[in-house]
Amino acid sequence: MASRNRGISDSVIGYDPAMKKQIAIVEDEPALRDNYAAALSRQGYQVKTYGNRRVAMQAFHGRLPDLAIIDISLEDEAEGGFDLCRDLRAMSAELPIVFLTARDSELDAVSGLRLGADDFLTKDVSLPHLAARVAALFRRIDALRRPDGTAEILQRGALQIDAEKMQTTWNGTPVVLSLTEFWIVHALARNPGHVKNRQQLMDAANVVLDDETITSHIKRVRRKFQTLDANFDAIQTVYGMGYRWVE
Amino acid sequence: MSIRSQLLIVGLSTLVLPWAGCQYAKELELAMRGSQEQALRASAATIANALSAEPQRVFRDGADSPPFDKSAGDLYVFPLGRQPLLDGYRDDWDIAQDPGPLPEHLIPGGSPLKSRVQAGVTERYLYVYLDVDDPHFKPEPSDPQVGSARFDRVEFLLQKPDGTLESYFFATNAPGLIEAQRVVHDADGSDHIGNEPRLQAYWLQTKSGFQLEARLPLTLLGNRLWIAARDGTRDPLTAEAPALERLQGGRLFFAPRDLDELLATFVRAGTRVTVVDANGFKFGSAGSVESGTDQQPPADLGRSWFRNLLAIDNSRLPARGDTPDRLEGPQVAQALNGEAATIWLRTGRKDVALLSAAAPITIDGTIRGAVVLDQIGDALIGLRDRALARLFYLTLLATAVAVAFVVGFATWLSVRINRLSRAADSAVGRDGRIRLTMPEASQGDEIGALARSFESMLARLNEHTQYLQTLGGKLSHELRTPLTIVRSSLDNLESEGLREDQRAFVDRARQGSLRLQSILSALGAAARVEESIKQTERVGFDLRELLLSTVAAYRSGFPNSRFDLEVPGEAAFLRGAPDLMVQLLDKLIDNAVDFCPIGGKITVGLERSAGNYELTVSNDGPPLPEAMQGRLFESLYERRTTHDDKPHFGLGLYIVRLIAEFHDGAVTAANRADGTGVVFTVSLPII
Repeated sequence: MASRNRGISDSVIGYDPAMKKQIAIVEDEPALRDNYAAALSRQGYQVKTYGNRRVAMQAFHGRLPDLAIIDISLEDEAEGGFDLCRDLRAMSAELPIVFLTARDSELDAVSGLRLGADDFLTKDVSLPHLAARVAALFRRIDALRRPDGTAEILQRGALQIDAEKMQTTWNGTPVVLSLTEFWIVHALARNPGHVKNRQQLMDAANVVLDDETITSHIKRVRRKFQTLDANFDAIQTVYGMGYRWVE
Repeated sequence: MSIRSQLLIVGLSTLVLPWAGCQYAKELELAMRGSQEQALRASAATIANALSAEPQRVFRDGADSPPFDKSAGDLYVFPLGRQPLLDGYRDDWDIAQDPGPLPEHLIPGGSPLKSRVQAGVTERYLYVYLDVDDPHFKPEPSDPQVGSARFDRVEFLLQKPDGTLESYFFATNAPGLIEAQRVVHDADGSDHIGNEPRLQAYWLQTKSGFQLEARLPLTLLGNRLWIAARDGTRDPLTAEAPALERLQGGRLFFAPRDLDELLATFVRAGTRVTVVDANGFKFGSAGSVESGTDQQPPADLGRSWFRNLLAIDNSRLPARGDTPDRLEGPQVAQALNGEAATIWLRTGRKDVALLSAAAPITIDGTIRGAVVLDQIGDALIGLRDRALARLFYLTLLATAVAVAFVVGFATWLSVRINRLSRAADSAVGRDGRIRLTMPEASQGDEIGALARSFESMLARLNEHTQYLQTLGGKLSHELRTPLTIVRSSLDNLESEGLREDQRAFVDRARQGSLRLQSILSALGAAARVEESIKQTERVGFDLRELLLSTVAAYRSGFPNSRFDLEVPGEAAFLRGAPDLMVQLLDKLIDNAVDFCPIGGKITVGLERSAGNYELTVSNDGPPLPEAMQGRLFESLYERRTTHDDKPHFGLGLYIVRLIAEFHDGAVTAANRADGTGVVFTVSLPII
């Protein structure tokens, strides 16, 4: 298990602290909230913490954070995080939203992502992993805001991946992927034909997930592509081993 | 004892109905008998009163003062129905009884022969039949001399209607029809023997003696007659007759001649009236008890056994004390004592009783005789029998219907209870699945209520089971947050910078929390798998292909174990989820590797049997304990000890079961026949 801590690329952790991005953590568990806040503050972010939806929304109406980390169940609201996400997304289309929750059911993940969250993490995630994701999301925002030119484009047939902006298109149409999904597709497409086992995919996505979750991520990715192209079958399952990208 | 037999016994209790009916009928019969007795006694008394009014038609003489004494020579004279032929035989007398012994020395003097006598009477004649033992027959000489002639003879001493005595004798030298002879006193004082042609007899020689059938006109006869058979070898013929005063007995007891006609006027159909005198001698009778029962009751199947079973037993009744000349019995004795009485008598037929009533005939304060009235009791009983039989059969039919209904009901009831019992037995399956619905639960009766109780019990059990099953998931969920706090704190601590000695402790704490996390993750895994299975789509895939590729991966993944793959030549198409199937294989292989000793062999096989693909994963290693085999595939069932220290929660095999069931299949575990290892078999139906 200890081995799963590896694979966090140094490049994503490194971030310019001068920017002082503000991160909002909405989490009803004070100890956890403070731990996350401490870890992210150490990374140079300005962290605001809120214990429930009402307080958070109050603050968000005053000023939107640059990134929000939201727990799904908030105090007495079992799905308060979902409501908060919806409201936040209504206020800003670009604000990165990360769900961080003890709930790990497939349904929750699907719901969260459908509401426009950029990532869905379980609380199993380690702080360095969390920091890496936060950094990645900021990088994507920055890349999106930067004028084109320095884009690092990966072209695989109909698939085009902009690694900098973390954007994916299929036949020119954008495919909306969560951060984890993006990294999985990126890892597969970078070396077409190579089989990536689940551990490799997890490492690439900076997550600790169990096999079933990887499988459902793959499934979801396929479905997203298939809604654009019914004949999509570029992601192949190699039974007992993993997945590979075929062109 | 099954409900059916219990209720059968309950049903049989309705047999009390026919029994009660019979008891009632029996009492009815007793009451009817009582009234019949009363009626017949009254009839007898009426007849007796009527007869008292005409004593001269009943009793020939004024008073029968001394009672009949057979030994003294009194003779009962049977009324004869028709004129007998005078032939020495009494066969045509139509009297059943044999002749009674004739007392010796009836006529004093001489040596009498042993003989038997019987008397009968027609309208005009008295018949006497005599059977005499005479070993040395001495015939009458052709010219017998009075005083000296010695020959065998039968003497008749008659008291004439005028009261005078006359002596006759019958003798012969040759058998045949003879006339009586008597000693005639001539005017000269001498005696000679003369014939009396009005008295005739037939002399018949027999082996032991002779028989004499004599006929006497009633006009010659008074009320007394003495008879003697003389041994002629010793007694000479004498002239003098004995004096009347010295004679005893010899009385003739006649039945009054026209009494029968008189009685006939009293007789109703089915009754017989008999008049006896104070000695019990029949004076006359009329009617027949048989006339009423000539018409047999209609043939009735159950009649005889039914009578045997229930009716009053007639066979123990006394018989009628009836002889040709006398009628005896307690009722007669009581009547002659002055009191009317009845008695039930048995007849030839078992089911027919004879009622006999007797009433005294009293003339001038003296009981002179009795009227005995007989009637068959069956006239009423027959009627009763048919009604009773109907009642009996109806109640028996009712009982049969009731019993059949009860047995049918019991059968239905026990079928239902059995169905419920079977359902209850199988409600909790070997695999721990609980079937929530019970048969009969929709019924409104107690069995339905029982079924519903079972259902609610099973529902509660199911809730509890589900609670236990989800407990792991819930626990893992609840523990995740505090664990995350610990881990994130450790992360933070590490990031703050630690001394080398402190780092060792933090590392240990991290390792512990990682282990805790993997435990929690395993606990929640079942729930996650169940959920992901629910959302899985089915596609067609080739199981053979899948095995070929996965086993290749296992070979590289588990270098310590040897893998054998035995698959058929052709593709094995299944419809289902290949991802799940891989997961199933992963779990089975994980399990096999855990128990397979280093260097042991794991064999993965696929076989096609009728309707199924049989996927087997077999490994060398210790056999499964007996007790574990049924529960192996339950969630969180405690696992066997493995040779590593990875946490085991029995979830792997539970997931295998879930996936097999998703494919409409089943998984079983068994030991190899030779005990060298364990075989897991997944049966997957071919669609």
